[in-house]
Amino acid sequence: MIGGAGMANNLEDRWQQALEQVKTWARANSPWAIHFNSGSCNGCDIEILATLTPLYDVERLGIKLQGSPRHADVLLCTGPVTRQARDRLRRVYEQMPEPKFVIAVGSCAISGGAFQGCYNVIGHIDEVIPVDVYVPGCPPRPEAIIDGVAKLLQVLQGTEVTKPL
Amino acid sequence: MSELLALLFFPAGLSLLAGGLVYEWVDRKLVARLQNRMGPRWYQPLADIVKLLAKEEVIPTGVNKLLFVGLPIAALAGALTSALYVPMFGLAPSFSFPGDLIVALYLLSLLTLCTGLAGSNTTNTFSLVGATRTLTQMFSYEAPFLLTLLGPALAAGTWQIGGIDAYAQNHLLLLTQPIGLLVALIGLMGKLELSPFDSPEAETEIVAGALTEYSGRGLALFRLGKNVELVIGLTLVASFYLGGLANPLEFLLKTGGLLLGLSLIQAVMTRLRIDQTVGMWWRYGALLVLAQWLLLIVTQGTVS
Repeated sequence: MIGGAGMANNLEDRWQQALEQVKTWARANSPWAIHFNSGSCNGCDIEILATLTPLYDVERLGIKLQGSPRHADVLLCTGPVTRQARDRLRRVYEQMPEPKFVIAVGSCAISGGAFQGCYNVIGHIDEVIPVDVYVPGCPPRPEAIIDGVAKLLQVLQGTEVTKPL
Repeated sequence: MSELLALLFFPAGLSLLAGGLVYEWVDRKLVARLQNRMGPRWYQPLADIVKLLAKEEVIPTGVNKLLFVGLPIAALAGALTSALYVPMFGLAPSFSFPGDLIVALYLLSLLTLCTGLAGSNTTNTFSLVGATRTLTQMFSYEAPFLLTLLGPALAAGTWQIGGIDAYAQNHLLLLTQPIGLLVALIGLMGKLELSPFDSPEAETEIVAGALTEYSGRGLALFRLGKNVELVIGLTLVASFYLGGLANPLEFLLKTGGLLLGLSLIQAVMTRLRIDQTVGMWWRYGALLVLAQWLLLIVTQGTVS
């Protein structure tokens, strides 16, 4: 009897493992992104749009820009967080269904950049929502942004998902 | 037993879902190649669907929960059920009775209707605008689309899909009713909200239209329903206008050819406004098909 129960457990574990593997595979192959500007100078936003042009063709990696936060898996954040944008950024993040990931694009998103210390700026993205990947640059090239997404996918496919906080 | 098998696996169950995913990939790949891109990998639609199914489903406040959860299921069920009356994969329809053409067409419209209801169920403004546009578009394409599919029915003298298919195998209706084929193909694009007619889900204006609030499972089911409908619609048009579907090879070639035409129109045309869409169908689509109908009735009367 004990052996039988153990085998059933084993089978269940294996089934769970296989299911997790399938889920991870699907997540890593279909990252739908949404783009939010919380106070950027628009430089990084133009680079993100350039990333989505046919020249870089991110659809071959399964990346798709979505309009609705409800459809998205990856939040591409640009710029420092201003006082006005903080609540909106948090709301967009909270509207996204789990599992969700955040990529901070550009120097300002990482540290506040040129806007650091401004009276209307709270600071970098990490002070408002947890960030998974940082893409430095002012602005970062489209290749760098794609590399950031690819790094996120590598972390996803790895055994442990680390959320730096 | 064999009916259960037909429901679950072939021709209306899993194989139809798989076929829908394959056709979505072919469509996306063709559009990508026409835009000089590499395009998605072959398993992309599958990865999208599995990911969406494994995602959290957020039920927003202010919605009727039963409708919110039930509408995607009804949409997919309607699309799958209509496949039972259509010669899928070039095989004879699983079920058939006189007049099943009308039933199949109404079941196909269930998806659009469910999308509209799903959009108006939420309190989101974008969803509401999307739902209004979806239903407006449905009222504009549905009549011409129905008329184009009734043209072959009129010629064949039966409203049974199997009968029309048998008639079409001996008569190439593409030659006698060319306007019908054109309007049917464009009506199908309107039904599926493909590129020139995608104002109901225009992502540059109204986020994602009626499905803005859907995440995870609901979105996956709506997408699956749309994929299934793409296959069924292509099958119907190919069966009626391109000389019937006698075997699976003919099915592949004919629906593939139609899909190529669909992708071409998608790639070269930009989005029409909703009033342009409605005007085009009522002013040109419906009138052209009616003129063809008149011609058909007159010639049939004089010949026989």
